[in-house]
Amino acid sequence: MLVRDVMKSPVLTVGPEVTLEEAYKLLLEKGIRHLPVVAEGRLLGIITDRDIRLATSHLNPEGPCPGCARVEEVMTKEVVTAHPLDPVEEAARVMRHRKIGSLPVLEDGEIVGIVTGIDLLDALLRLTGVTEPSGRLEVRLPDRVGELARLTGFLAGRGVNIHSLLSYPEEGEYVRAVVRVNTLETHLLAQGLRETGFEVLWPPMKPW
Amino acid sequence: MVIYRDEYRLYNFGPQHPFSPVRLEMLTSLLQALGVWRDPLPPPEASREEVLSVHSERLVKRVEAASRGERVPDLEHYGLGTGDTPVFPGMDRAARVLVGGTLEGARRILAGEKRVLQLGGGLHHAQYDRASGFCVYNDLSVAIRHLTRAGLRVAYLDIDVHHGDGVQWIHYEEKEVLTLSLHESGRYLFPGTGHVHEMGRGEGLGRKLNLPLEPFTEDESYLEVFEALVPWALEAFRPDALVVQAGADAHFLDPLADLLLTTRAYERLFRLILEYAEAYAKGRVLFTLGGGYSPDATVRIWALLYHLFHGLPLPERLPEAWLRTWEARLGRPLTLTLHDPEGGYPEIPRKPEIAKRNRLTLQRLTELVSPHLLH
Repeated sequence: MLVRDVMKSPVLTVGPEVTLEEAYKLLLEKGIRHLPVVAEGRLLGIITDRDIRLATSHLNPEGPCPGCARVEEVMTKEVVTAHPLDPVEEAARVMRHRKIGSLPVLEDGEIVGIVTGIDLLDALLRLTGVTEPSGRLEVRLPDRVGELARLTGFLAGRGVNIHSLLSYPEEGEYVRAVVRVNTLETHLLAQGLRETGFEVLWPPMKPW
Repeated sequence: MVIYRDEYRLYNFGPQHPFSPVRLEMLTSLLQALGVWRDPLPPPEASREEVLSVHSERLVKRVEAASRGERVPDLEHYGLGTGDTPVFPGMDRAARVLVGGTLEGARRILAGEKRVLQLGGGLHHAQYDRASGFCVYNDLSVAIRHLTRAGLRVAYLDIDVHHGDGVQWIHYEEKEVLTLSLHESGRYLFPGTGHVHEMGRGEGLGRKLNLPLEPFTEDESYLEVFEALVPWALEAFRPDALVVQAGADAHFLDPLADLLLTTRAYERLFRLILEYAEAYAKGRVLFTLGGGYSPDATVRIWALLYHLFHGLPLPERLPEAWLRTWEARLGRPLTLTLHDPEGGYPEIPRKPEIAKRNRLTLQRLTELVSPHLLH
């Protein structure tokens, strides 16, 4: 999944000369929190709802900025950006590391979109969510060559279609695989998997 | 009034498939052996047009072609030809026979009948544009639509262990249909949906209710949330009729799912549903069958339903001759009594935690839904 698959486009921007009042009104109207600041097609900075509130509040520990009237006086100038072909996880890592809420997306110096924390949550939902009627299997695999292939091979052999597959490393030398399959009969699959030597965590065995 | 015909058993995915017509044969022969079977009303099969009241033309075309044994390249896209819902000759008509039964139930309700028990159907996974999870055509939605087109407001109650997704999505934006599904959480079980946040769209907002339950939920906890939720929702919605999908797969013996109801809970549920129909739905209630993959448990649960539906006293032991016949046919022992014996499964250590989680889910659901439902 790439940044271009999750970013919002086209992106709403403002010029540097716009007043804080106008910019804030725009944020409220559109229900957004980030505005890239652009002049002559070039990204100059970014301003957030929080920047504006701090600049106009006596609660700001550095004091309000009474003279500040225009976006360019308050915006962050060193903007961290992404490229449309960056992997989503890289965008997530940068945002998490820098503790920032959005990345303007630039291509050849031109702003083509924006990716925010909300877009990353959407991506997480797409990766883990249920988009087709399906049952769920959870299997703990030894972390070595061919184990996942053995699992998917078993499912293919049973004529079962895999709608989604998520895997992540676990403590020790294990990988947890969560598989959504197009069948009600996950208990039957689990039984078959156990008989073939897999450690199935869900569905459980019923001893009665 | 009971609706049934032997052609229901044409809906048959093969000897290895869990949705087996043998269950109907066992059930009707048990009721005969108990001496309570009365001639049911044989319904006509539903027409193509009636099926099209809730399904797409392109789905129906594919079911018809597959029924004739024609090769259809994109069958799987329509949820057909899969391990769960394989095609078989005559599938279209077999499915229409089941739809016809439930639809006849709706007609009878409109004609003034109060209680109808359709001994088949309950194919709640079938969607507008796709077959799914053993379900080709959605008999419940065809019946519900017939009722709403006649101007009735319909409450649909689904106690199958799987989420009633097909019925929910078909009526998702309709304000005259309340759907209420109690099921094992989609986090663990097919079809994966049925979260409390799925609560309808547009005019249907707040009228699609889902109570996903923890795996290993037992009688006490199930009944606690059921008795809190169902009368509350029905009183707020005030339906003109109640349609009930009485799947039996929340039983602890069911091989496909993980809830732990006993026949005692089912007896209480059926009694309550009949009471609620009187109190909140003008006495009008249409029951269908549904899932249930332990033949032993399923047949006893539906026999219970049949007795309670008719107000008959419950037999304790099952007839010897019937037991012998079916133990021989199935090649395994059956429970000798209508109710489960005590101690059918071991104690569940997480019991209090499970009950607490279910209570919390109920609370979330009522908080989400009440602003929409209660006016």
